[in-house]
Amino acid sequence: MIVLDPNGEKLNLMPLNVGPSHPATHGCLRFLAAMDGETIVASVEEIGYLHRGFEKMVERGTWQQVLPYTDRLNYCSAIMNNIAFCRTVETMFGIELPERCKVLRVIVNELSRINDHFVCIAAAFQDLGGTTPFMYAFNPREEIMCIWEKLTGARLTNSYARIGGLYRDSYDGFENDVLAALDSTEKALKDLHACLDRNRIFLDRTVGIGKISAERAISYGWTGPCLRASGVASDLRKDEPYYDYETYDWEVVVGTQGDCNDRLQVRMAEIEESVKIVRQALKRLAPGPVDIVDPRIRVPAHKLAYQDMEGLIGRFKSVYEGIRVPEGEFYCGSECANGELGFTIVSDGSGHPYRIKVRPPCLTQFAAFHELVEGGQLADSMAVLSGLNIIAGELDR
Amino acid sequence: MTAEAEKPNIITSSLDFLVNWGRTNSLWPFPYGTACCAIEFMSTEVGRYDLSRIGSEYVRFTPRQSDVLLVAGTITYKQAPILKRIYEQMAEPRWVIAMGACACSGGFYDCYCTVPGIDHIIPVDVYIGGCPSRPEAFFDAMFDLQKKIKDESYMKQRAERVKDQLEMIKAKTAEAKANAKEFAREKVVDIKDFVVSKEQEIVKKAQFWKE
Amino acid sequence: MNTVEEIFSVLEEKFGVKRDTRDKWGVCAVVGAAYLHNVVQFLKDSAAIKFEMLVDIAGIDYLTYPNHEGPRFAVSYAFKSVSTPGQRIRLKVQVSEDSLKVPTISDLFANANWYEREVFDQFGIVFTGHPDLRRLLNHVEFVGHPLRKDYPAQKRQWLSTNDYLLPALEKRLEDLGYRVVQRSKEVGTNDNEFLEGSIKE
Repeated sequence: MIVLDPNGEKLNLMPLNVGPSHPATHGCLRFLAAMDGETIVASVEEIGYLHRGFEKMVERGTWQQVLPYTDRLNYCSAIMNNIAFCRTVETMFGIELPERCKVLRVIVNELSRINDHFVCIAAAFQDLGGTTPFMYAFNPREEIMCIWEKLTGARLTNSYARIGGLYRDSYDGFENDVLAALDSTEKALKDLHACLDRNRIFLDRTVGIGKISAERAISYGWTGPCLRASGVASDLRKDEPYYDYETYDWEVVVGTQGDCNDRLQVRMAEIEESVKIVRQALKRLAPGPVDIVDPRIRVPAHKLAYQDMEGLIGRFKSVYEGIRVPEGEFYCGSECANGELGFTIVSDGSGHPYRIKVRPPCLTQFAAFHELVEGGQLADSMAVLSGLNIIAGELDR
Repeated sequence: MTAEAEKPNIITSSLDFLVNWGRTNSLWPFPYGTACCAIEFMSTEVGRYDLSRIGSEYVRFTPRQSDVLLVAGTITYKQAPILKRIYEQMAEPRWVIAMGACACSGGFYDCYCTVPGIDHIIPVDVYIGGCPSRPEAFFDAMFDLQKKIKDESYMKQRAERVKDQLEMIKAKTAEAKANAKEFAREKVVDIKDFVVSKEQEIVKKAQFWKE
Repeated sequence: MNTVEEIFSVLEEKFGVKRDTRDKWGVCAVVGAAYLHNVVQFLKDSAAIKFEMLVDIAGIDYLTYPNHEGPRFAVSYAFKSVSTPGQRIRLKVQVSEDSLKVPTISDLFANANWYEREVFDQFGIVFTGHPDLRRLLNHVEFVGHPLRKDYPAQKRQWLSTNDYLLPALEKRLEDLGYRVVQRSKEVGTNDNEFLEGSIKE
């Protein structure tokens, strides 16, 4: 297309379509760029290629049946989504969780965060052409996956949290496995830093690329590591503490430039903070119950169903009717790996959700994509895209 | 021994075996990864599971250079035309693996926007269950696919293709002949008409001169 | 120390908002559609606690809600304060089935653009003044609005072609100050490429 630029000069631009099936767009993102040579002049994004109808599907089941769907929102850190959803419903019930449940949730939350950040970093370097960091980052990830398998029975989509508790208590030797995984995480981080910190190619491709100011990022509703990379110390774990996050000794990591390099470095530093939190939480892990005792909310233990009339009725009712969440509307956000994952819940007091709206952290970040890439080179757009860590399952729901 | 080795050798083998051996052990996948299964595919590629053990580590992101289309993840109606286009762009021989419940049947997304199985759009060779499929299941599917490829006969396919081509050529020739005949008949008719009109003209002229 | 409750009472005084009794856990104000833009501007710029971040916009369809009185639809906005961490407020605009119109706030918050497109896509609520109100998640040939309660969950709609983005790109270029002199040729649809069950068939 031929255009006149603001100075009145004639330019011949080429529209270039990228995605949705492009290695760097991870299958589901698409943008159309107007190219002047190698420079992107303007760009528009298109999403919805993985729109699976989460919000329609959950209206048909019971409240517990929502949990497997939340797994598949951000599939890199499935347990965090479970916990975010359960926390919203538990707040509506006004439940106080047992101490062991809280600590276990903190541990699995932070391990998931490590997992998610590793995927982001690995994919980013793979997209920039570095295969070695990809391998380094996936090794500790596989160890954490092994813990998930032992703990929940699944590798990726775990459905570990339950409303009012957890699927089950940890297994024997859980602490040792977690400690071993943390050690290999730290080793991998060391390797990654050695690979990247003074790597000329990597720095040239990420420093100063895809900059965004804090003001603009807030206007776009950015949250999580991407906002913190722009220099805003906003973290829901500190701002609206839950599960006693404020009592652990850790720091909110903040970047300075708000560029692609900062976003990746903030993620690496956050892994270190998560390791610190998990180490402290393991020390607090005291024996005790993980579920609340309330047959209207949490299904009674399997044992009780065979021995006790009450247990049988409780189990029967909670499976067939579902739990009855108090009538009302509520929004609650939790700090997930990519930012604030929120659920707007409308309950009509019956056993089925009336409406659940997800607030995906990725959507706001991808909405700002054109501002980050315009004026840059086409190859930089891949670095920007992988630095944002767009997870399509969450973006399109 | 050395004198023996220097002589020109003959390898005796069937061409089928040779071609299938080559195809089996260098299946280059095109990962059409959209959702959770793509993350499991990434795990399959790296360290612990290591896809390169069966010669498939060379992941090509272009349909022109790949043999296996690996559909990992949910396909929505918005994405269906793209998937179909990519399948059409792949060169023969091509195989398709549907990885995970969503690609096989739509999974538990029984909804207004998800395609209930990619076999509504493109033919599928191997289905893998699981949500998402484990890396072991993925390896199993690759082995199944390898078995399937070993059973294929390159010579038969080629013979069939040649037969098809011959038939096509025959049909084309017959059509051309028919066309030519039709054309010739038209021409003959034209000439006859021309002769008749000429004769009539001559008769007219003769009559004129007689008068 | 100002609290959200105080801000709510200011809103009550200034704009006549009402308390939404359904939200028992936070503060939710029911705003008339005419005042929405002013209320949001006030919250963003001049309230005692500044709510700088638009967190979410959700559409709600009350068609099958038991004992519901009032308009069928509602649009709920969630705001968060960055300068005073931990403070949140929600706004709600009720939309009747006859008008289906809400003023846009995409000039105040950059992310409202996509959120409003999503609500338009899923519920068919029109945001007046929105610069580019297209479908966001569903495809171009989709008929109807899937998250309405009267849309059957399994009603599938095939797509016959890929979405065009060129008009949107031209619009973006014009926003940046460029002027399109000669439009590029769009690749036409191929009639042979229809998929099974496509609605164009």
